[in-house]
Amino acid sequence: MEVHITESEGTMTARLVGRLDTPAATEVIREIQPMLDNAGKNLLLDCSEMTYISSSGLRIFLTLRKAAAAAGGHVVVEGLSNEIRQVFMMTGFLQLFEIK
Amino acid sequence: MAKKRGKQLGYAFQALATVIVALATLEATSLLQYYFSRKSIYEEATRRAEGQLQTTNLEITDVLDQVETTVRNNVWPVRKTLVHPDSLWSLARRIVDCNSFVSGTAIALVEDYFPQKGRLFSPYAYRNGDRVDTLQLGRESYAYPEKEWFSKPLETGEGYWSEPYFDTGGGEMLMTTYSLPVTDMQGRVAAILTADISLDWFTDLVGSIPEYPHAFSALISRTGQLMVCPAPALVMKKTVQEVAADLADSTAVRDIALAMLAGERGSRQVLYNGEKEYVFYAPIDRANWSMAIVIPHKEIYGDVQRVALIVILLQVLGILVMSYILYKAVKNQMRFREVSEKKSRIDSELRVARDIQMSMIPTSFLPAPGQTDVDISGIVVPAKEVGGDLYDFYDRDGKLFFCIGDVSGKGVPAALVMSVTRSLFRSVSAHEKNPQRIVSVMNESLADLNENNMFVTCFLGVLDLASGHLRYCNAGHNAPVRIGPGKAAFLDVVPNLPLGVMPGMQYQEQETNLSSGEGLFLYTDGLTEAENADYQLFGEARLLENAVRFGGEKAGAFVKSMAGAVKSHIHGIDPSDDLTMLAVRFTNPSPSTGDVRRLTLRNDIDEIPKLHALIQSIADETDMDHALAMSLNLALEEAVSNVMLYAYPAGSPGQVDIEAAVLDDRIDFRVSDSGVPFDPTVASDPDLAADLKDRPIGGLGIFLVKRIMDDVSYTWEDGKNILTMTKKR
Repeated sequence: MEVHITESEGTMTARLVGRLDTPAATEVIREIQPMLDNAGKNLLLDCSEMTYISSSGLRIFLTLRKAAAAAGGHVVVEGLSNEIRQVFMMTGFLQLFEIK
Repeated sequence: MAKKRGKQLGYAFQALATVIVALATLEATSLLQYYFSRKSIYEEATRRAEGQLQTTNLEITDVLDQVETTVRNNVWPVRKTLVHPDSLWSLARRIVDCNSFVSGTAIALVEDYFPQKGRLFSPYAYRNGDRVDTLQLGRESYAYPEKEWFSKPLETGEGYWSEPYFDTGGGEMLMTTYSLPVTDMQGRVAAILTADISLDWFTDLVGSIPEYPHAFSALISRTGQLMVCPAPALVMKKTVQEVAADLADSTAVRDIALAMLAGERGSRQVLYNGEKEYVFYAPIDRANWSMAIVIPHKEIYGDVQRVALIVILLQVLGILVMSYILYKAVKNQMRFREVSEKKSRIDSELRVARDIQMSMIPTSFLPAPGQTDVDISGIVVPAKEVGGDLYDFYDRDGKLFFCIGDVSGKGVPAALVMSVTRSLFRSVSAHEKNPQRIVSVMNESLADLNENNMFVTCFLGVLDLASGHLRYCNAGHNAPVRIGPGKAAFLDVVPNLPLGVMPGMQYQEQETNLSSGEGLFLYTDGLTEAENADYQLFGEARLLENAVRFGGEKAGAFVKSMAGAVKSHIHGIDPSDDLTMLAVRFTNPSPSTGDVRRLTLRNDIDEIPKLHALIQSIADETDMDHALAMSLNLALEEAVSNVMLYAYPAGSPGQVDIEAAVLDDRIDFRVSDSGVPFDPTVASDPDLAADLKDRPIGGLGIFLVKRIMDDVSYTWEDGKNILTMTKKR
C-alpha cells in the first residue's frame, strides 16, 4: 500500500493506494503519523484508489477520527468503493465519518 | 357435584330400602310365629286347666263318696240301735272316731220319736281338737227340723248334700252335710243320719296348678255360694252372682256364673279388675257344685310375650348392627367410587399427557418425498403412561439434527423434564450447528435451577447430508451403534456428564464421516436392560448381534426388527423402563466431500497475502463475484490474523492451518491452530450505535467474520482451536 500525504489550503490529504490489509496496516499507521500530529486541521482521506480494507485498517481510520475529535479537527473520507462502503456499513463507520 | 350427591342419595335409599325390607320380613315371620305360639300355648293352658278340673272333680267326688259310704254303712247300726236311744250317743261318737274326714255326725230323730227324750232328740258327735265331744242338737235354740240337711232328705227320702253353711251351735265351722233318712224296723222314717265334712277338705283339694302360680280356683255350691276362693272373707258370704254384680263389667262373669250354676263346662275370657283372665269351669256332678280355674292372661302368655319381647329386641339389635354394617359398606362403596373416579380422571389426564408427549416426538420420518440423502425412523415405548425418553430430529440447511435422551427417573416428573429437553434441543439448534455448543447451552439451561436433581443423558448429532460428515456430542448417554450392511460396532464416544448435572461443564465434540449406507442406531438403556423372566438382560452383545443381522435393513425395518428382538427376549414380561430407539442412515449415493484446499501459514502477518491468493484462486475458479470474494477475503484474514497475533506467545513460532472446502451450495472454511485455547465467538459484538468516544478501537475483526459468514463455530479438540466457518454460495 502506498500513502501519499499532501497539504493545501489548510487541508491535509492522504491518498491511500492499494490494499489496506493487516500487514499493510503496520506500515500505514507509521506513514499517517503527520496527520495525527495535525489532527486539529481539516483532514481528507482519499480512498478512491483503495481496493481493500481489513479491521486493522479500520482501526487506523478510527484512531484518526478520535484524534481529530480531541484536537477539534475535521475528517472527511471520500472515494469509497461499493465493497468498502459495505464494510463501513457493517461496522457502523458510516455514522462516524463524513463521507463524500 | 349435584350428580355425585344424587348418586350418594341413591345408595342411601337402596340401603334404607334393604333395611326396611329385612325388618318387615323379620317382623312378619316373628308375628306369624308369635300367633302360632299363642295358639298352642292357649291350647296347652286349656288342656292343663281341664285336666285340673277333671282331677279335682274326681278327688272331690271321692271324698263325697267316702262320706256317703260312711253314712250308708251306718244306716243299719242306727236302725238297730233305735231300740236303745241312749246307745245312739256312742254310735255317733264311733262314726266320727272311725272316719277322719267326718268332722261331725248327727242322728237326728224325727219329732217325738222318743217321747221320753222330748220333741227333738239328736245325738251329735263332733271333733273338738283330738277329742270327740257330743251334744244334743235338739234344743229350743236349734230347731233342726227346719234345717235343710234335715228337711230335704226327709222330704225326698234320699240322700242329700246340703248347701254349705256355717254350723252355729253344731260344728261351729263351714261345712256341708250329707244326710240320709233311716227307717226303723217298722219301715217308718225314724231319723236322719248325717255326716259333716269341713270345707277345708275341698280347699286343699281345689289346689293350685304348679305351672301357673298366680292362677286360682273357685268352688261354688249349687246356689252360687263361694265355697272355696282366694278371698277367705267372701267364702259363704257372697254368691258368685253377687260378686259378678259388684264388677264394673259384670256381663262376662255373670254369664260364667249362670253357666256354672247350670252345670255346664267351658272356658271364657273375662276382664277382672282391669286384668285379662281366662276362666275354665266344669261341674262337680255329685254335689251339683261347680268349679272354676282362673288363670291370668299374662300367666299364660307371659313366657311367649317375654320371648317375643326378647326376639324383637334381638331383631332390633340385629337390624341396628345390619344398618351399621350397611352404612359402612355404602360409605366404603362411595369412597371406592370416589377413588376410582379420581383414578380414572388421573388416568385420562395421563392419557392426554401421553398424547401430548407423543406429539412432541416426530413420527413422520425421513426421507421426505424426493429426498435421497437420509433414512431415519424411531420409536418410543414408555413403560408407564408417560415417560422420560425422547428422540427428535429435523433437517435444516442440508444438515440433519438429531438427538436421543433419557431423563433420570420415570413417570410424570421425567416426562416434564423430557418435554423441556426436547424444547431446548429445538430452540438451541435452530441457530446453532455445532453439537458441542448445542449440548453446552442445553446443559446450562437444565443445570440452572435444577433443584430436583433431574438429569438427562443425551446423544446429539449433526449430520451433513451432502458429505456424510457427522459431528456429535455425547452427554452421558449409551454409545450408539454404527451400523452398515452386515456390520455393527459401538461408535467411539467420549462419555461426558449427563445434561443438568453440573453447570459450566465442558463437553467434548467428536466427528466422523459416514459413507453412503452407513448409519447410527441410537437407543436408551431400556433396550440393553430389558430383562426376561430369568433376570437376563438384553445386553450389548445381543444388541450388536442383532444390529449386524438387521444392518442392511432400512431404518424403519431396522427399528421394528430390533423391537421384535427385545420383545421375544423379554417374552411377555412387563418392561420396567421406557424403551426408545432411533435409526439414522446416511443414504446420499454420491456424497460430495468437496474440493478441499489446504494452506498452512506461520504465525506471521506477512503470510496474509498467501491467504489472499488462496481466496482469489477459489473466487476465480468458481466465478465468484467481486464483492463476495472480498468479503471472504476479509473474513478469513480476520480469523487468521487473529490467530497469528494472539494464539501464540509473542515471538514464539506457531502455525495456522486453513482448509477451504468448496461444495455445491457453500464453502466451508476451517481455521485451526495449536495455540492458547481461545473461543473468539464468545466475544460480544460492538455497539454500532455508540458515540465516537465510546467506540473502542479494536474488536471489529471477529464481528466482521460473524457478519460475513453464515455460520461460525468454535471447538477445542485434540489440543487445537478449530474455528469453522461456512458461507453459502
